[in-house]
Amino acid sequence: MLLPYVLVGAILFVLGMIGFITRRNLIVMFLCTEMMFQGIIVNLVAFGRYPLNGVPTFDGQVFAVFLIAVAAVEAALGLALVVLLYRNKETLDAGAWKLLKDE
Amino acid sequence: MLAAAETSLLDINVYATMPFWPLLGALLVGLLIAFRAKAQYAHWPVVLGVAATAVLAVTLFFDLGQKLPAPEGDSAPAVAHGDGHEVDVHHGETDAHAHADHDYPGFTHTLYNWMSFGAEESLDEHSNRWIPINFYFDGLTGMMLLFVTVVSLMVVIYAIGYMRDHHGHPEPGYERFFAFLGLFVFSMVMLVLAGNFVLLYLGWELVGLCSYLLIGFYFRKPSAAAAAKKAFIVNRIGDFGFALGIFALYMFMRGHVSAGENPLDYEVVFKYAGSLAEPSGYFGLSQASLVGLLLMCGALGKSAQFPLYTWLPDAMEGPTPVSALIHAATMVTAGIYMVARCTPIYELSPLALNVILTLGVVGAALTATMAVAQHDMKRILAYSTISQLAYMFVALGLAVPDSGVFHVFTHAWFKALLFLGAGSVMHAMGGVIDVRYFSGLRHVLPKTYILMLIGCLALAGVPLLSGFWSKDEIVHAAFDHSVLVGVIMLATAGLTAYYTFRMFFLCFHGKLRLPDEAGENPHESPPVMIMPLWVLALGAIFVGYLGVTFAVGSGEAFIGVFKPHGYFHDYLHASTIGHPHHGHGGMWLMYVSGVVALAGIGLAWMRFGQAPQDEPDRKILGPVWDLWNAKYYVDEIYDAVIVRPLRGIGHFLFGVDRFGVDGLVWFVSAVPRGLAFLLHFMQRGALQGYALTMALGIALLLLLWRWIDVVPPDVAG
Amino acid sequence: MPGIASWVERSVRAAGEWNLNGMSTLLVIFLVLGATGLFLALPGTRGGWRPVGMALLVAAGILLVFVLADFALGRELPIWFGGCALVALFAATRVITHTKPVYSALYFVLLIVAVTGLLLLMSAEFLAAALVIVYAGAILVTYLFVIMLAQQARLAPYDARAREPFVGCVAGFVLLAIIAAQLLVAPSGVGAEPTVEEAAGTVEAVGTLLLTDYIIAIQLAGLLLLAGMVGAIAIARRQAADSTPQNGGVD
Repeated sequence: MLLPYVLVGAILFVLGMIGFITRRNLIVMFLCTEMMFQGIIVNLVAFGRYPLNGVPTFDGQVFAVFLIAVAAVEAALGLALVVLLYRNKETLDAGAWKLLKDE
Repeated sequence: MLAAAETSLLDINVYATMPFWPLLGALLVGLLIAFRAKAQYAHWPVVLGVAATAVLAVTLFFDLGQKLPAPEGDSAPAVAHGDGHEVDVHHGETDAHAHADHDYPGFTHTLYNWMSFGAEESLDEHSNRWIPINFYFDGLTGMMLLFVTVVSLMVVIYAIGYMRDHHGHPEPGYERFFAFLGLFVFSMVMLVLAGNFVLLYLGWELVGLCSYLLIGFYFRKPSAAAAAKKAFIVNRIGDFGFALGIFALYMFMRGHVSAGENPLDYEVVFKYAGSLAEPSGYFGLSQASLVGLLLMCGALGKSAQFPLYTWLPDAMEGPTPVSALIHAATMVTAGIYMVARCTPIYELSPLALNVILTLGVVGAALTATMAVAQHDMKRILAYSTISQLAYMFVALGLAVPDSGVFHVFTHAWFKALLFLGAGSVMHAMGGVIDVRYFSGLRHVLPKTYILMLIGCLALAGVPLLSGFWSKDEIVHAAFDHSVLVGVIMLATAGLTAYYTFRMFFLCFHGKLRLPDEAGENPHESPPVMIMPLWVLALGAIFVGYLGVTFAVGSGEAFIGVFKPHGYFHDYLHASTIGHPHHGHGGMWLMYVSGVVALAGIGLAWMRFGQAPQDEPDRKILGPVWDLWNAKYYVDEIYDAVIVRPLRGIGHFLFGVDRFGVDGLVWFVSAVPRGLAFLLHFMQRGALQGYALTMALGIALLLLLWRWIDVVPPDVAG
Repeated sequence: MPGIASWVERSVRAAGEWNLNGMSTLLVIFLVLGATGLFLALPGTRGGWRPVGMALLVAAGILLVFVLADFALGRELPIWFGGCALVALFAATRVITHTKPVYSALYFVLLIVAVTGLLLLMSAEFLAAALVIVYAGAILVTYLFVIMLAQQARLAPYDARAREPFVGCVAGFVLLAIIAAQLLVAPSGVGAEPTVEEAAGTVEAVGTLLLTDYIIAIQLAGLLLLAGMVGAIAIARRQAADSTPQNGGVD
């Protein structure tokens, strides 16, 4: 029963990636990264629940807890940055910021 | 044994502090500079430091003298024929083979172990992997220290007055000057006291450094800076050979010493020196010849001998006390000292001795002729110094190092006197030192006149002054060796008297003429400058008597009273010099050399007594005089043969570096830069562009990995 | 380089024989349908095609049930799993295809709820609760605040058009294809499976691990949260006046 969960997790991850690449709204892009986290959480828990040797462990869930913590930090910092950027340019378009390049 | 004597005036550990007082003084002056104290009294630490060293040196001299082994009387066989030194060499060889454990009367005092160098499996850990700071005491040490420290003290005192302007204010850099002088005295005493070859090399390089610093004292003057560089670089050439010599000595000695003995300690080296007669395996030379020739290279540079002397005249750019102390009395004698110290090695190598003799004879004659045609007072004295140093070298080459050291000893006093007297003249003339611009100075500088007269008489070799006794010994030994060498030496002695008094008459006789720079009222130097000169003048007159014995009524004695070889020689024989063979008899030679000296002075009086402003010699000698005036174009020849090709190579290598190596580096950096130029178009600063590229890259890599899994590549193919 | 040449040749032959080692036809059809549907459904100028894309995605969702059944390797899938998975993927699709950020955020809440269901199916009770509390309760509310703050009066141009939807979809689904194919050939748990009781991720089970084996990591996580908080405050305190408004002074 491992594989269906892993496949669902992979699809969630890939959808999040596609969203991150294609959507221009900074907030939606952030939502997409959270979506990728969800895929990974599902995977981690599934690997712990259905290990190859048949003995379940909870390390995957512990990892997931840390992942949630990181996601919370990322959301806090990322949204603060989004607010700052929005204040500067009155837009949420990721394409409005192109400073990191060789002129 | 010196060490075995029961009584000594001071503890050996007190003597061991000898080098460090001037260093302490120099460091104190350095602190004064750091705290920007007034320069007015900056000389005191150094003067006191050098004085302490001088007191210790005089005490040590007497202390060692008390402990000398009993004089063996006329131990040397009375062989009067010409090839004295050949016989001596032969004697030395057989003697060395007979008992390799030759004991010299010196003793070593070790302060501490300085640095370790590589382990040797067979040798004991504590004694052999270390280079110690140790001092070697014997007759040569005592004699060298005596004149080095006393002359240094006189020069340092003189410099208190000299390094000031007409109002008595210190020149800029006054403190620096004294700090360097203190450092120099430390280095020189260290050099003389050193008990092993590495420490000798340390002192050797330190005096070279001080020489560089002091020649370039007026470093804002381009000529002074150039002269300092020249002195340093020319000495480098010699020191390269010197270092190689020490390496070779270590290499050979390692095979001769027994376990627990340091192969570079004087005691050990001279104990086993006899075994250096074995072939070295290089160029068909014996070990002694190879080591001797390489060490000699160092002496050629440091003591301004024939091929490498060119730095010394230029070194006169330094302040006059420096010329007197470093470039006449002390540092330049280090080479003579070193060769004399290594007598046990050199007496095994007739080849090295002959090379030394040849270079000495050539140098003495050449530079004496150069001195005849110079105008600059200090340069005349510089060429005279080179010529006299070559005299000493001749003595070394003739295997009579005691005579050579005797000349070193007497020369230090009167040459320092002459330089300081010239400095006094320069001081009064507002810096002008060219004898064409002044004359008749005896009217304005009466004391300097008397002092210079004493110095010139001593240098000229006038009988009964110190220069006469030492110079005559060398001439005597030269005649013992061959008539040709003897005649050249005698002629050079005559030339010496001639050019010395040419300078003297041009400067002090004739009608009074002053350069504009001298000002309205040229005055005699202050007492602080004149008093040291009197001390040196006393030395110039009397130190020669250390080297003669009174033999009233003896048939073989100069003017019935004086017999060559005195206390000085006995003292020196208690050292690594041992008992060189001296030819006896030939008392007529002393009269001849006295007459030659007086004749030179007389000739100079006839031609320059009225201080003519034109050059009378030039009319007679014509192009020869011009050649002498241009110093045989030696500097120009060196420039064309060595300096310019080297500079050409330098330019070529610079080009290689600039275009070849740098080009390669540029190319190495240009490739990634070009790639980056192509790739930088991809860097558009768009966040999602980067993310897309990353996703595509991951997809591509995974695809490749997956595909290789499905269709494995043919590894063997 | 004959080795490479022969490898390329064999690769071409293998591709021609459709010998993709684990790639079932069903999976390929699902991937193609999904990629095409997502491409059409993403916001863009192809306004008329979006319903078609949605339809294709629904078809892909139906196919997914069979794909998942394939992946169960003969075991019977619980009906709850299929439901939660479909809801989660539907919500995820809507998050990235919806033109209004507020709706995206709300669909994300739905996604969280569906994922929570999946976690519960895997007996991860504590984690499920934590996920709902932290994500749905805290993070998403923050998102909504920010969305409100940056609300545009009407549909913003950057919401109305996706960037590079085709390349993005291709990259994403190639990745998915590789992962799925690899899953089928990788060794997986075909043996005995732990019971629900054995695998129950209670607070006690997870907490014991967290405070024993992972004690340093949890301290570091706390430190990270603190640093994140300080950083967020520092960033948010910066006034827009620090740099010139509008042009930003850096353009």
